[in-house]
Amino acid sequence: MSERVSSRAALVGGLLLWFAVLGGALSWAVHSLAAWSIDELACEAGHDDLAGVPLVGAIALAVLLPAAGATAALVVSVLAWRRLRPEPREDGDRATGRAHLLAVVGLWLNLLALAMIVFGGVAALVLPPCQR
Amino acid sequence: MPSSTAAARGTRPGPEAMASLTRHWAEAPSLRTWFGTVDHKRIGRRYLVTAAVFFGFAGASAVAMRTQLAGPEAGILSPREYNQLFTMHGTAMIFLFSTPMLFGFGNFLVPLMIGARDMAFPRLNAFGYWVFLFAGLFMWASVPAGAAPNGGWFAYVPLTDERNTPGLHLDVYTLGLLFLGISTTSGAVNFIVTALKLRAPGMSLNRVPVFVWAIVATSFMVLVALPVLNLDNALLFLDRRFDTRFFEPERGGNVLLWQHLFWIFGHPDVYIIVMPALGIVSAVLPVFCRRGIVGYPLIVFSIVAIAIISFGVWVHHMFATGLPQLSYGFFSAASTVITIPSGLQIFAWLATMLVGRIVVSVPFLFVVGFLVTFVVGGVTGVMFALTAFDQQTTDTYFVVAHFHYVLFGGAVFPILAGVYYWLPKMTGRMFSVRLGRWAFWLVFVGMNLTFFPMHVSGLLGMPRRVYTYPGGLGWDPWNLLATIGAYVVAAGLLLVAVGVVHALRRGAPAPDDPWGGDSLEWTTSSPPKPYNFPVIPRVHSLHPNWDPRTVESTGPGATEDRILAEGRTTLCTSELDGRYERPVEMPEETRKPLLAAVGLLMVFLGLLLAWYWVAAAGAALVIGTLAAWLWPPRRTPQEAGVAG
Repeated sequence: MSERVSSRAALVGGLLLWFAVLGGALSWAVHSLAAWSIDELACEAGHDDLAGVPLVGAIALAVLLPAAGATAALVVSVLAWRRLRPEPREDGDRATGRAHLLAVVGLWLNLLALAMIVFGGVAALVLPPCQR
Repeated sequence: MPSSTAAARGTRPGPEAMASLTRHWAEAPSLRTWFGTVDHKRIGRRYLVTAAVFFGFAGASAVAMRTQLAGPEAGILSPREYNQLFTMHGTAMIFLFSTPMLFGFGNFLVPLMIGARDMAFPRLNAFGYWVFLFAGLFMWASVPAGAAPNGGWFAYVPLTDERNTPGLHLDVYTLGLLFLGISTTSGAVNFIVTALKLRAPGMSLNRVPVFVWAIVATSFMVLVALPVLNLDNALLFLDRRFDTRFFEPERGGNVLLWQHLFWIFGHPDVYIIVMPALGIVSAVLPVFCRRGIVGYPLIVFSIVAIAIISFGVWVHHMFATGLPQLSYGFFSAASTVITIPSGLQIFAWLATMLVGRIVVSVPFLFVVGFLVTFVVGGVTGVMFALTAFDQQTTDTYFVVAHFHYVLFGGAVFPILAGVYYWLPKMTGRMFSVRLGRWAFWLVFVGMNLTFFPMHVSGLLGMPRRVYTYPGGLGWDPWNLLATIGAYVVAAGLLLVAVGVVHALRRGAPAPDDPWGGDSLEWTTSSPPKPYNFPVIPRVHSLHPNWDPRTVESTGPGATEDRILAEGRTTLCTSELDGRYERPVEMPEETRKPLLAAVGLLMVFLGLLLAWYWVAAAGAALVIGTLAAWLWPPRRTPQEAGVAG
């Protein structure tokens, strides 16, 4: 029973670690593709709304939701980074050193992703969606 | 200089095991094995030499173009010849030199750096090389035929559609790149699997050399980016040959679709070229600073970040196409942010130099040359991330100056550093330091003399891709300087080639570790034996060759499960932590990869010349060869593991 619990914990821990590493990048990818394609395709078609939602609102959603995702990944990566300190002689538990490296990578990656989403949001605040 | 030999470390197992290893891995010197080799070291060297030859062709094109542009109204080249030369120059430098050259380093070095005996798929590796060779010949053969691509290396439609560019020119481009893409894709798959599954036991992700990280990240980028370029080229070929309408607005197509697809590939491709080169810098620099690289985790982060973010910046190549400004905003943000991980690597190298004890050797000089020129290219790169500046300078010589600083600085200097650094390991011979230093100064001075004036002529309004220009516009002195610089660079590069030949013919025998390197390739003999490692090491550190425990792991007490003398085998380990899994059998030499590549050449030649029966015969040859290649070998029930 305990083995089953620990393997489940390992699975959850592994998934959380991968979310910590790639969550921000995935959020930014969603933001980038959604915000850009909504803006470009709607403007090309001459619309100022998307399924009844004003274009500015749709783009705001494409900024805010991914920003929330990137923030969550950032929090998880900070927690992982703090809890996964590698031992001085790493041979004791090799997975700790590796997981710590991944947490560091994730932490900085999430920060950059969040920055890009925020910068995109600032652009959406100051530029009308279809101005060319 | 510290030096050591494998024998001095006690790395050899018993003579019987050594004889068995040699019997299973060595290839008898014959024409048959020359065409059938699957040894990653031989294939890596072939990539390097072939890419260098294509570099020579592309460089000669550049010298011809610079001679034409030395003064106004020159008539050395006709517009038609000039168009073909600048297109082939760019296409070859990007596709036939940079990436294959760096894949050559990867081929030679990745198995050595991770403690493996070969690439994961040796036959696929050989296939990739032959396809690269044939694709390069396919494209270069069009130059003397007067049918070379002539629409620029990014071949924008509608300039390149059948109506505006009739003839075979753009068919050579589209088919040549599709052909080459098969090689690059197979190489990328091979690198990823090799680095994830064949690392020596104990080499967890936090102990992987930066160069290997860079090659793996690059390979992932290739797998995502290249299909987009392939799609683009396939659509253009269909438009041109079969009158489809993907890029014709008047018939329902979209002319900007080409640019979007091209740059979704094209911008990551800048990093596909530069990133392995940065990996070379991260391998070379610490050794000549006599300490480990500063900020290893941040450099790994930087590699991963660049590999991801580079896919979200492509529209900054299209800032002058009239898309909504808000769209530009999203891409401008990413284009600005991507400079952070790039800059981080620069600071990590500077910090390594600051806290280390510098040994000014020839590879180190080229690394410093890289740092200076790449930073200049990076600064102008940030300027292009700003839409307003980009729109003012797009399609001027300022752009030409920028990307040559990035690509010459970011790829050629590290490649030359890598050539001098690993030449002793690859050839077993030391090079002439004097020749190397002369080559560096000629290349460095010549490069800056060639490309720096282009910033000025660009700001003065000189458009790129003009075969000549009128005098009196203020461009003349800058063009003359650039042309003089081109000849100086050519002299420097010639000296590099002379240095390599001199080393091969008259160089002193190289010790196994002439520089005191930290990674596993320096634990092998120079040049490495066919099996690379008599004993596969157990890795305990990021710097295995500086770590006594790792060195001891290949000593007399090495266990049988890492000697693996009974067969042509290497070790398979887990992806993340490098835990021992099982030995895997590696294939022997075969000419099937060559045959499959010949079949592909027939397919593409047939398509180019509209000899569709030749293409069909080629396809049949490819399918037949692949069937024979993949057919399960005959095994006894014991060998197959199904005996009762």
